[in-house]
Amino acid sequence: MDQRTDFLMLDSGCCFGEPRLKDPNYQDFFSFIDVYDLPEHDLSPYKCLVITGLIDQELLYKQKEQIRDFLDGGKVLVFSGNLFLPWLPGASAFVPKEIRNHSDYDVTIAKEHPIFAGVQTYDMTYNKGVAGFFARGHHPLPDGAEVLLTLPGGEPITYIDRNSTKGTILVHSGNDLFGYNHPGKSTGRIALQLTEWARNEYRQLQEPQERGAYA
Amino acid sequence: MRKIAALYGGSSQHFRSLNEPKYRKYYDRLIYLPDLENTSLDEFDALVVPSQLHMGLVMKSREKIKQFAEKGGIVVAFGPQPREWIPGQNWELRPTNFWWWLDKNAKSGLVLQKPDYDLFSYITLADATWHQHGVYWPPEGAEVLISTEDGGAVLYVDKVSTAGTWIVTTLDPDFHFGSYFMPATERFLDGFLPWLAEGNV
Repeated sequence: MDQRTDFLMLDSGCCFGEPRLKDPNYQDFFSFIDVYDLPEHDLSPYKCLVITGLIDQELLYKQKEQIRDFLDGGKVLVFSGNLFLPWLPGASAFVPKEIRNHSDYDVTIAKEHPIFAGVQTYDMTYNKGVAGFFARGHHPLPDGAEVLLTLPGGEPITYIDRNSTKGTILVHSGNDLFGYNHPGKSTGRIALQLTEWARNEYRQLQEPQERGAYA
Repeated sequence: MRKIAALYGGSSQHFRSLNEPKYRKYYDRLIYLPDLENTSLDEFDALVVPSQLHMGLVMKSREKIKQFAEKGGIVVAFGPQPREWIPGQNWELRPTNFWWWLDKNAKSGLVLQKPDYDLFSYITLADATWHQHGVYWPPEGAEVLISTEDGGAVLYVDKVSTAGTWIVTTLDPDFHFGSYFMPATERFLDGFLPWLAEGNV
């Protein structure tokens, strides 16, 4: 089986997104397409669509039906960034946090979850002793969403939404979670654990259909 | 007041930094980057090219942007711009100095080369100080306004390569403002845009 059908990442085409396209850690199980090729691209082979905060959301808004159809096929979508257009089912626009003190950026684990297992909240909040890299605001929750991480006011940084579509949406209000793969800090576990979670999630979403097929 | 257009790439950072009301008032029009090919630039005096645009689309329109400058237009290029679309572009990628300010005797490494240039009636060197992703080595005759200590250009003005004016910087204030990060970037834009609109460029 070609593992590159596991994850499809939309390339924003900007230079901050370039290193990922060449990162050897992702070549075996990630496919990449230019975001402007999305309208013509068949999404049916993929399990999980990965979209980062550098992407052209005007284009995604035009393609919102395509994205919804993908999810309704029992698929997974992981978005990391700040939403400002309504292209993602159930999601709301990003709300920036008003920062008065660096502790306003403190990350709390709201619920133990395999994606963040073994990850220290200090490592999420601080980079070389400086806070603010992980998340600087939140997206208001859709009904029934599962909250994984929060800011000190309880604002949800990261949530999972299994209700808005027949698939599963993970929304994270900071940098690309698949980018946390550097050893030496506990946050380096996130990319691999997120990968495993997305595959498991896909399996569970597809199971009822498979059972149905043999019933 | 100059008539300014800005390219808009559709990212959340572009959306915020261009639509913030105190900045939006300086832009006569935001041109969605995929529409640039079919949009006339004739009515504008200046074109702002933000950080982190789709490089393939920028490259596709580089002749159009150059023609705009050849007709006397002002082109502003925020950094980094690793693809070559600016006349005489000579970019040297350097490791980003994210952490200089944590050092004991912190020095940003920036040098104000032309303190009398009108831009510095609008911003200070501190307003241009966060980090750099590299330097430019501009064409002869271009004026370097801010440099690194070894003379690499962090912000330069080129009036020799075309009939117009190129304001080229490695700095990416729009990206950081659009990411809700780094207060100096807001002070830079607070001064830079009024200068572009009405200052002595």
